[in-house]
This record gives sequence, C-alpha cells and structure tokens, in this order.
Amino acid sequence: MIRLSGIARTFLVGGEEVHALRAVDLGIAHGEYLSIMGPSGSGKSTLLNIIGLLDRPDTGTYELDAKNVTALSDDELARVRREKIGFVFQFFHLVPRLTAAQNIELPMVLAGIDPAARRPRLARLLAEYGLEERAGHRPDQLSGGQCQRVAIARAMSMGPTVILADEPTGNLDRHTGQEVLGVLERVHHNGGTVVVVTHDPEIGARSQRRLRMLDGAVVADEKG
Amino acid sequence: MRLADLFDFAWQVLRSSISRTLLILLAMGIGVAAVVVVTSLGEGARLYVANQFGSLGTNLIIVLPGRSETSGGMPGVLIGKTPRNLTLEDALALKRSHAIRRFAPLIIGAGDVRAGALSRETPVLGSTAELMDIRHMEMAQGSFLPPGDPRHSQPVCVIGAKVANELFGSRPALGEWVRIGDRRFRVIGILAAQGQSLGFNTDEIVIVPLAAAQALFNTESLFRILVEAKSREQIAAAKADVEEIVRLRHEGERDVTVITQDAVLATFDRILRALTLTVASIAAISLAVAGILIMNVMLIAVTQRRREIGLLKALGATGRQIQLAFFTEALLLALGGAVAGLAVGELGRSFAVQMYPAIPFQAPWWALAAAPATALLTAVLFTVAPARRAARLDPVQALSRR
Repeated sequence: MIRLSGIARTFLVGGEEVHALRAVDLGIAHGEYLSIMGPSGSGKSTLLNIIGLLDRPDTGTYELDAKNVTALSDDELARVRREKIGFVFQFFHLVPRLTAAQNIELPMVLAGIDPAARRPRLARLLAEYGLEERAGHRPDQLSGGQCQRVAIARAMSMGPTVILADEPTGNLDRHTGQEVLGVLERVHHNGGTVVVVTHDPEIGARSQRRLRMLDGAVVADEKG
Repeated sequence: MRLADLFDFAWQVLRSSISRTLLILLAMGIGVAAVVVVTSLGEGARLYVANQFGSLGTNLIIVLPGRSETSGGMPGVLIGKTPRNLTLEDALALKRSHAIRRFAPLIIGAGDVRAGALSRETPVLGSTAELMDIRHMEMAQGSFLPPGDPRHSQPVCVIGAKVANELFGSRPALGEWVRIGDRRFRVIGILAAQGQSLGFNTDEIVIVPLAAAQALFNTESLFRILVEAKSREQIAAAKADVEEIVRLRHEGERDVTVITQDAVLATFDRILRALTLTVASIAAISLAVAGILIMNVMLIAVTQRRREIGLLKALGATGRQIQLAFFTEALLLALGGAVAGLAVGELGRSFAVQMYPAIPFQAPWWALAAAPATALLTAVLFTVAPARRAARLDPVQALSRR
C-alpha cells in the first residue's frame, strides 16, 4: 500500500547539510500497526512527514495505493492528503475558535462535502469517539485526552488509507496516553492502518511492527 | 470548499477576534462615510447653486450695457469713450426676434418709501408686466404691474412681503398709497415671500412701472434687460439675435454683454463638480489607509495563525483555499465597513440637512457606488500579499512549533 524506495531528504541548517533521511526503503501493508522509534534527530518525524505528503523527498520514489505521488503538484498533494491521510499531532492542533464538532468536520468542509452528507458522518464520529456530550465545547473547554480524541476523530473523518500519529501521547499524562493509544488501536482493529512515531519504548512495544531509526536510516524492523 | 462554508469559516474568524474586527470596521466605515458625507456636501452646494439660478427664471438671457473683453485697444475711459447706454428702445427692438418669448427691461435704484409716518429705504425696481413671468414671481395678494406700453406708466406699485409688513404692519396694504421720492403710487399687489435668491431678496423690494422709475431716477438707461428664449434649444439663437439687434441699433458697435443663464450655470456646475471630486478623492485616501490597515492586520494574522494554516494544509486545504479564506475574511470586513460607512454617511447627511434645510445635501449616485467599491477593492488588493504568504507557508515548519 505504501512503498518508499531510496527516499533521501537533506536539510540545510546554518549552511551545513543535515541528512535527515538517507536512502530509506520501506513498505507498509494495509491494516498494519507500525511504530517508528528512535532518538530525536534520527529522522522519524521527517519520514512521517514524507509519508504524510507534507514534505517532499530529495530523491527516491513514493508509491501510495500503487500510485506514484512523488511528482504531484502541491494542489494534487493537498487533495491526496485530504482523501488518504489522517494526521494526529502531539499538540493536538485543534482550531481554538471552533467547537469539537466543527473541528472534526473541518476536513469534510475543506473537501466541499454537502452539509446534508456531513451531518450523519459527524454524528457517527462523535458517537464512535465518545464525544457526543462535548460536541459543542471549544478546545479550551476540553481535557487533553478529549482534545486528542477529537483530533483522531478528525483524522478519521474522511475515511483515510492511513493514520499518521506523531507522538500522540507526548503531551498527555500516562493514564490518558494509554487511553488515547487504546483509541488508535481500535482504529487498527477495525482494519485501519496506523503509523505511530514515538520515543517511548513502552508504546512502541504495543505495536505489531517496530521500526528503529538512527541517523536517518532504518536500523531495525521487527515484527510480532 | 463550498461557498457557504467559506463564509462561515471567515465569519468564525471575525467573531473570535471581535476587537480586531471592530477596529477594521471602524477604519473602513470612517473612510466610506467620509466619502459619502463630503460628496453630499459638494453635491448639495452644486444643487443649491443650480436651484438658485433656476429660480431666476428659465431659458434666461441677461443683457447688460458695456462690454468686458480683452482687446488690444485702449480702454474706453482713456480715449474718452463710454459704452453706449442700453435704452428702452433697444429693448423694444428685441420684439423682432423669433427666438425670444418675452423680455423685461430693468432699472434699479434705491428709494425712500413712505407710508404715513413710516418710511423705509428699499431697492426700487422699474420694469414691465413680463418681469413676473420671467422671474417666476408669485403674488400673495392683488396683481402685478398691468401690461401696456412701457413708455407710459400708471402710478401703481407692487411691494415685497417684508416691505408690506414693515410699512403697514397688520393693516391691509392693498389699495393704500405709498410715496417714493416725490411721487405717489397705489399698492396693487404684494409679492409672496420667496426669500433670498442669489443675494437678491424679493421680499424687500418695491416694483414700479418702468417709465415711473425712469422719471424717479431721472435716467433713460436700463440696468439690465432680462430675456426669455422660447425654449432651451432657442437660447443660442436668441442670444445671437440680441447681439445682432443691439449692434445694428448701436451703429455696429458690440457694446453690450449678453450672458446666458446656462453658461453661468455650466461654469458653476463645472467648478463645484471638480471641487466635489477633489475633496472626495482626499476622503478616498482614508479608504486606502483602511486598506493598508487590513493588510497589516492580515499579515499579523498570517503570523499568528501559522499553526492553523499548517494544520489546514495537512488536512488537505490547497493553497488556493487558504488564499480564498483570507480574501473572504477581507471581503467580509470591507463589506461590513462599507455598510457601516454608508449608514454613518447617511446619518451625517441627514444631520447636515437638519442644520441647513435650504441646501439639498445628497450624495451623488457615483459616490454611493464608488465608496463601497473602493473599500472592497482596496481590501482585496491589500490582502493579495498576506494571502499569498499564507498559501506558501510550509506546513511542516508551521506545525513544528508549539
């Protein structure tokens, strides 16, 4: 489903070249639950951004659903992101002036889906992630765990091919983090593909497949 | 993104930062209101002047003795030559023209008007019955000067409303005798109060037959001849006729000045229009300033909402959608400002009308259209740069910071 071959990404930091990724090859199958671990600066976030089409590799090809997406224009990338990628961020990144329901609805609004078609989908998402009573609350009236549940519901709203979570529990206490992880795992159990970036080995250990990165390269790929 | 959602999104933004929104609305509103008020004043002044000229009469041509022109010759004073007088015979000769409907010769002087023990110094007009129609005068009581040969006169007079009031108070003035200089006149009419008209107050005058005025002021020469052309189209022909007839009677000398009301009015019109336009442009500068304010606020918004813009991109918003969101926001602000400005401008206009009811303050249609249009245009123009900056924002960088 996701096939990366020879992906490299170099940044210029203060006139010095930093190799964030060096020729990464990676395949992710449909329905996989994958964690990417590694120390900070190992390139795991860059890899996630490239999988999420937020960043472009300098070299290499990326096939998503058997389609080469390396050479797409910015607008085409935006459309693919909208249809196939769901993001969950460490800092939730909810729009502060919108209610929980409006935040969840945002991708559907951007996609230009009819309000009549949005309503039942929104109602289902609110029910699925236990947010019905919080639908009218704004992010500053929600707990961290609720915020992240809103973010996951938002990521799921367009029925994406893959959910990409960057340190989804990094800003939550242990208990809430476990709860949020449970929500992500439920997505996986329902057949979704989930990629989690984390530096917490305990969280990484819960996934089926564990990628370990160091200095821009995948150094370990364990399954089971 | 659907249009309704786009507006909804922009509306949420505006609502979430009320003070910022209100400040921009204020700036935009002041700009639009300034244009509306200033053009109302200018247009009011223009209409006022036009009305004043209109009240002088319609299709009016004014003939006055002497000619003001720039020529190489010596001025008449220096070579001992004064312009020929304009006489009643000159006026009567105008009957030959087919373009002229009627005319009224005019003599003006000051006279001491007495009724019983009361006396008042007023302007005394000598003219004929035609004056009433030419000047659109209206009678409150009685009748105007009787028609007839202007060479002979009856001892009658028509007095202005204020003169009647001052000389006779509440007593009936009609049929009473007044004394002007050493002559006696019977009051046969009282003019309806009309008020000031281009510095000439018909409420304070006394009108006597032309021949009587000639005798009173011991003069043959006319002050003016007021001529009414048959129609607007005939004004030019009537003017040419007047010049030709008088020239022939004056041994080929062009020694009268003929002014058409239209020409004077057109000049005033041009001047006041130019003035209105100039002042309106100055007021429009405030709109440009408001536009720059919008740009400023939008640039700040792009910086403040970096994370949000990055998020929208991650959620699949295209650069165009981001730009559209900013344009919609600016458009809503400009629209709100324009509506507020038009309302405040209208308020200012009605206030001006209250203060000076005589002047028809009225914003011209082009200002009512141009002011909001300029507001919208500047808002959109000044949002181009911030919107593009937002659209080009790198989502990875925008999202990476807290």
